[in-house]
This record gives sequence, structure tokens and C-alpha cells, in this order.
Amino acid sequence: MTMDGTGHESVDLVRPYVITNGQELPKGDEFELVTLVTAADGGARRAQLDPERRALVELCCGGYLSVAEIAGHIGLPIGVIRVLLSDLAGNGQIVTRNPVPTAQLTDIQVLQEVLDGLQTRFG
Amino acid sequence: MTAYIDDPVFWALVAGLAATIALAVSSHRRTRRARQEKELLSERNDILEQRFAESVEEARTRAEHGTKTALKTAMRTLQGLANEQQIAISGLQRKYGDQHILQDLLDIDHMNSQFGRRAQSIAVLCEGWLGRHRSVASVYDVVRSAKGRVRHFTRVEIHSQTSFAVISQAVEPVALALAELLDNATSYSAPETTIDINIRAVPKGVCIVIDDAGVGMNEEEKTRAADLLTNPVSGVTGLGNPPQFGFAVMGVLAARYGFTVSVDTASPYGGVRAVVLLPQELLTSMPEPQPVGPAAVAQTAPAPAPLPGGAAPDPLAPSAAAHMPRAVPHSGPRPVPDPPGAGAAARYDVGQDAGYGAGYGEERREPRATTRGGLPKRRRRTPMSIVGQHGQDQDAAAPRSNEETASIMGAFQRGTRTGRTVETDPEGREFR
Repeated sequence: MTMDGTGHESVDLVRPYVITNGQELPKGDEFELVTLVTAADGGARRAQLDPERRALVELCCGGYLSVAEIAGHIGLPIGVIRVLLSDLAGNGQIVTRNPVPTAQLTDIQVLQEVLDGLQTRFG
Repeated sequence: MTAYIDDPVFWALVAGLAATIALAVSSHRRTRRARQEKELLSERNDILEQRFAESVEEARTRAEHGTKTALKTAMRTLQGLANEQQIAISGLQRKYGDQHILQDLLDIDHMNSQFGRRAQSIAVLCEGWLGRHRSVASVYDVVRSAKGRVRHFTRVEIHSQTSFAVISQAVEPVALALAELLDNATSYSAPETTIDINIRAVPKGVCIVIDDAGVGMNEEEKTRAADLLTNPVSGVTGLGNPPQFGFAVMGVLAARYGFTVSVDTASPYGGVRAVVLLPQELLTSMPEPQPVGPAAVAQTAPAPAPLPGGAAPDPLAPSAAAHMPRAVPHSGPRPVPDPPGAGAAARYDVGQDAGYGAGYGEERREPRATTRGGLPKRRRRTPMSIVGQHGQDQDAAAPRSNEETASIMGAFQRGTRTGRTVETDPEGREFR
């Protein structure tokens, strides 16, 4: 397997299903691609994590990273990253923040009414 | 005396005596001949028996050799296919990582690993190819790799990590031997029990202790296992019916690579305690973990990464290096093409003052360093401003001082941090 030289040899040796320990992939939309993740305090507990989970927490130490970015850096499939994230969130080792929601479009009818009102007043 | 001369009885007696003597002599001769013949025959028989045994042995060796060769070749093909399939599955996992199909891909990956392991085990017994070359891996990763090759891997729990790593040549054999142990442990214990693995550093190396809560082994089984582990068999005959590969495979691997496997102690959980001792010769220290994340992305990687674990010579590396130039056509005399950035740099030179441009020119005249593969190395260049430098004096074009750069970067970092920490309400409006 051609890896991008960022030391993911263990991905090849240790298969992703071992890293997730056979856990079901999370069903909900808890971790979207743009969900932001950061590490919670509690560095002492990190030593007990396996290398992938530790790398993930350390990666998120510097601030918020999106799920997609994390998957890119760690080099594991996004579904596997989601399993790790839901584990870590369950242990309280990471904190997530929902992405900024897109602004909701105002109802076209309201706009039409405002326009009509303005036109009757100034038009 | 003469009185008897005329007596016919006397003559009859004499004749009888003579006949008896003659008979005795001839019988003696016959016996001697018979004895000689018997000796000759028994000698011949011995020779025949010996020859027979020899030819039987030869036929068996030839048959064994034939079986081995056939199996080895067949397994090699299967192993190759399993590896190819694993690479394909990895690609698919990356491609469809975001979709529900990933769960199925993970399952298929698991089955493929088990399939590959079976093929490997038979290949080991036939003195065949063990598998791909691996780089140095931590003991923990080798154990996890073994865990992934058994059916009920979720029952296996690894309790400790060490800083030790296994040298590249031993990664695959140790993983395979551990997988065979774990297969035994999971097969001979109840489905709801766990198999505990502890990794301990001992003066002689590293011990991997595998405890199961199964039924254990009786004395006969223990003796047989110990025999297979200490006197490795060769070939696939004598594995019993149904054939049991496990201990035979471990025995061959342990003898070939110099680690020991023992299963003679009872586990505190009632099952078997298997102990694999990896000697110091198979161990090395962990290679420096490569940085993951933005730092790694920012780094340029011009030279081929140093081989992890300098102690272990990498047999693949020279051949890989030898292959690389062939992949690049006309790598020798052809001028190395400018990296993509150089063109942009040249465009910025236009309209800039002579001093700045000359700096670039000088730099570009320098012989460019190339990687072993003949590809150009990226070089550090003088800081370049995106904003046009028209009409500005030479001072403005001078490189920034370290303090200036630091403060600019600091401001940038502060800005991004504020951006990330700003709280938003569900409507997307910001509040602080």
C-alpha cells in the first residue's frame, strides 16, 4: 500500500477493525464531516490510550479541528475515526462543537410583504 | 575273527555300517550346504529389506517434497491474492469511509485477514514464503495485528503497552505465531470469556503472556504440544486427523526466528497460559513517531525518510532504490524540471527591482539537489511577498527580521483562535 509517508505503516499492520475493536459504526449524525473537535483537559489519562486514539487526542490539542481534517491527518477511514471519536467523547477526553449552521433563509412571503409595504409607502 | 568271515550277517553289518557312514557324511554335507545357503539367503534378505526401507523412505521423501512444493506454490498464490485483496479493501475503506458500506468492508477485511493467515500457516510448514516485508513495529502493534487474524478477536484484550519494538524481519513471524496461539485460546474457551494478553519486559527480552479461561489441556496434549514446539516438524504429514496446525506452525517459526513459546503452565483463570518470549535479538527501540497533523503537512519531505530502526537492515530498500530511477524516464542527462513554485517566482520577478530579482537568479543557478529517485528537492527560498513591490524602495523588499515574522505569525494565530472560540447560537449569530 502506498502511504503518504506520514508513518501510517501501522495502519497496514493493524487493520482498522482491530482499532475499532469490532465496534459498530455510530449510526447517528453526531460526528458530521464539519463537526469541530478539540481535546479536553486530562493529559494523564492519555497514556493509557492506544496509539491511534492518543494520536487523535494529541492532534486536537491545538484547537478545534473538523472530523474530515482529523481523518485526513490520521489516515483512517472517516467511519473508523467516528468510532474513535465517540469512544473518546464518551470518556470525556474530547469536546465537540456543532458546526456553524447555515443561515436560514427568510420566508419569501415575508420579503414580498415588506417589499409591498415599502412600495405602498414610498412608491 | 576269521570265523565270521563266512558269516553273511557280518558282511551285512559291515555293509550296513558303511552305508550308514556314507549316509551320515552326505547328510552332514547337505546340512552344511543348507546352512551356508541359509546364511546367504538371510544376508540377501537383509540387503533386500534395507533396500526396501530405503526406497520406501525415498518414495516418502519424494512424496513429501512433492506435496510441499505443490502446497507452497499454491499457498504463495493464495497469499499474494490475499495481500492484493487487502490492499483493494484498504482503498475501498478510504473511498467509502463516510458511508454505511464501511461496516461491511471492515467485516470483509477481517475475513480476508483470517484467510491470509491460514495460507501463511500452511506455507510455513512447507518452508514457504511468509509474507510481505514489514517495517519495525511496536510489540503492541504486532500483538494487535495477531489479534486481527483470529475469528473472535473482540474477545482478546490487550492490557499493557511497552516501548519495545520488534525488528522488521520478525514482525510477521511473531504475529503469525501469536495468531495461532490466540486461535487456540479462542477456540478452546467459552464464547463469553475473554483472553487476556499482558506484555512484560523481562531481563531476557519481552514476554507476551496469553491467558484463557478455557478447558485447559490434559497431560497427553501438553506433551504433544511441547514436543511440537521443541522439535519442529516439517511438512504437512503427521499433523493428525483432523490436522492441527497451531503448535506445528509455532514450533517451526520459533526455531527459525529464535523465540520461544511455552504452554505448559496453567492459567489462573483455569485455562492455558501461553508465554511467548522474544529475545533481545528480535527487539529494538521504537522508531521516533513521525509528527501527525499540521506540523507534518508543513514539513517538506525531500529526502527519502530514514529507515526506521537503523539496527535492522532493510533488505527491500536497496532494491526499491534501484528500481526508482527506471521509473523516471531519461533521469540522467535531462535537466531537472523547475518545481511548480519556480514559475510563480519568476513571474514575481518581473517589475521588481534588480537586487531582488538577482537574488532569485543566483539561487536558481545553484545546482539543485535531487533525491535518490532523481526528483528535485524543494529548497528554502527568501520570503516572498504576495503584494506587488512596485514603487517601493529597497528597504521594503528586505527580508523581515525574526521578531517581525514572529509578531505577524502571532497575530495570525491569535486571529484564527478567536475565530474558532467565538460562540454561536443555533441561528448562527455570534455572541461572546
